[in-house]
Amino acid sequence: MFGKKRTRELLLVSFLLTPALLIFFVYRILPLLWNLVLSFTFWRPAKTPEFAGLEHYNEMIFYDDVFWEALSNTIIYMAGMPIAIALATIVALLVNARVGGRNIYRSAIFISYPMMPVAVGIIWQWLYNERVGLINYVLLSLGIIDDPIAFLQSTTYALPSVMLVGIWQILGFFMIILLTGLQSISQNLYEAAAIDGTSNWRQFWRITFPLLRPSLFLCFVIGVISSFTSFDLIYVMTGGGPGHATELLITYIYKTAFELSSFDYAGALTIMMFVLFLGITLIANRIAGGEAGKIE
Amino acid sequence: MATVELKNVIKRYGDLEVVHGVDLAIADKEFVVLVGPSGCGKSTILRMIAGLEDISDGEILIDDTVVNELEPKNRNIAMVFQDYALYPHLTVRQNMSFGLENHKIAKAEIGKRVADASVILGLEDYMDRKPRQLSGGQRQRVAMGRAIVRNPKVFLFDEPLSNLDAKLRGVMRTEIKKLHQRVATTVIFVTHDQVEAMTLADRVVVLKDGHVEQIGTPEEVYHTPASVFVAGFIGSPTMNFITGSVSSSGDSVRLADNFVLTPPEHWHAALAGRREVTVGIRPETFHVADAEDASVLDIKIDVVEPLGSDTMIFFKIDSAEAVARVVPKLGLRSGDTLSVSVDTQAIHFFDPENGQSLRGSEA
Ligand SMILES: Nc1ncnc2c1ncn2[C@@H]1O[C@H](COP(=O)(O)OP(=O)(O)OP(=O)(O)O)[C@@H](O)[C@H]1O
Ligand SMILES: [Mg+2]
Repeated sequence: MFGKKRTRELLLVSFLLTPALLIFFVYRILPLLWNLVLSFTFWRPAKTPEFAGLEHYNEMIFYDDVFWEALSNTIIYMAGMPIAIALATIVALLVNARVGGRNIYRSAIFISYPMMPVAVGIIWQWLYNERVGLINYVLLSLGIIDDPIAFLQSTTYALPSVMLVGIWQILGFFMIILLTGLQSISQNLYEAAAIDGTSNWRQFWRITFPLLRPSLFLCFVIGVISSFTSFDLIYVMTGGGPGHATELLITYIYKTAFELSSFDYAGALTIMMFVLFLGITLIANRIAGGEAGKIE
Repeated sequence: MATVELKNVIKRYGDLEVVHGVDLAIADKEFVVLVGPSGCGKSTILRMIAGLEDISDGEILIDDTVVNELEPKNRNIAMVFQDYALYPHLTVRQNMSFGLENHKIAKAEIGKRVADASVILGLEDYMDRKPRQLSGGQRQRVAMGRAIVRNPKVFLFDEPLSNLDAKLRGVMRTEIKKLHQRVATTVIFVTHDQVEAMTLADRVVVLKDGHVEQIGTPEEVYHTPASVFVAGFIGSPTMNFITGSVSSSGDSVRLADNFVLTPPEHWHAALAGRREVTVGIRPETFHVADAEDASVLDIKIDVVEPLGSDTMIFFKIDSAEAVARVVPKLGLRSGDTLSVSVDTQAIHFFDPENGQSLRGSEA
């Protein structure tokens, strides 16, 4: 069937892929399948599991207000990502321009990404603090506010405040992706455009933007993933509170499983989140013409 | 009307000077080729004319106007890049009209110009394709089309043919030449290929290490090279350089024990009083000796390279390697012996110290 060479190549490829696939299977696919099983079961520690049918999903959709709040927060949190991408694009364009000391800016902006989310959360918790926080101090000194604001304890400000940190942290990563995208665009195109008398505005929208689209899409996918997985940041800063004001699906799943020991219900929530995530990614990929992360 | 003039143009990158005071005056509708080895500053000069590179010192004038401070778009030039610089996400048609759209030209006019150019370049059937769906030669044509539709005063080409295979290069060379006759615009063309330079140029500018070695018509740079560098760069296979000793009056030069050349009259004054001189002999200046030759050289052929139309033979003059171009029907083999002589009218003499030609006023 296959030629000899072909067979040998297949063997080699399978051999090299096996460790990665094995890890992927054990840590990703198995838990997902396990969650799927859980979500259709009544399962309590030290009790015999029973088949639950769609009971958990029924409860989630028709009776669980927290689920809906967490879902809406997650979507709002996700909506912050396009803002982060737009900001990162502007920063990447500036850094990519030939300005002095750009390596310093580049590193300074990127440094937020590899920082541990827990550390980031703690730092920002302090920055947002009502009495000793830098942000309140600055706002008060400038006379923008008269009374200090308890950002993370306020149902109004908590979610935007947390989103801001999320955006801040991921900005550097987006910037690096977009910078790579920008640098893969041949400099000659811009020279040709300059000779042709192209305005900066038209140059951006007709040359840079279309050629950057795959990188922008990659950022979008990463942004979506992060809004489904930003657990540590939120958990450290607000624990999902006040009330459920900053509850995301991921923090809600954690609490359900490990604080309430409802592993079966948490399994159903996880499956729900996975389906949502898959749906959004597929739609976005369709919109982007199926070229996620592709570099021309 | 478009003349281009460079006055003592210098380019520095920091402390490093890479173009050292180039002077060049290009006439309207002239086809000038800048040629030289890699790194000699050809692209840098072209890019300074285009306005893509700052001019460190000196002046560049287009139509007698100093353009040093003008933006590229205001210089009324068009440039074709080595890697074509086509917009990969736009179709051929969009690539060609992109520049015109910047200039608020009426849609109908743009359509007409693009259509005209596509006919000239034979691109009618490819107008809705993306660059990646085109062959190298077709991309090259699109790049030229994008330049043509602009109706520029000056065309700049930076090694536009170097990404093409040998055959296509020949075809495109002819097309560029035809194109020049058709649109009758000033052209500045950069290449490191001396064949391209010789076949395309009205005038050739030979560059070396950031300065001009010689400016002249293809015939001039070939027949009266100003230096060893030019003589060696132009012509293929390259000219033979052999050290010869000069007689006191300068009327004979000895290359080997029994091989003495009698230079034409006009060299004598320059040769007189020198002891050694670099003799330049083009491969085709050798011929198989006959009875009329005053001095002949008996050689033993090391290697024979038949090219079909000609045959190259490699041999030694004393210890110096030499190559000659002879007619193929001699049926020579390596190891054969042969008597050769040279056409003394076509030989060159250079100063062995600085490589400059010793040619007197006759040239
Ligand atoms: N940005 C730069 N900084 C410093 N030196 C440079 C820069 N750009 C070019 N050079 C130098 O200037 C010289 C001329 O470069 P240029 O590109 O004009 O050569 P070229 O004749 O076009 O060569 P090629 O045939 O390889 O294209 C080279 O020695 C190169 O190293
Ligand atoms: Mg070059």
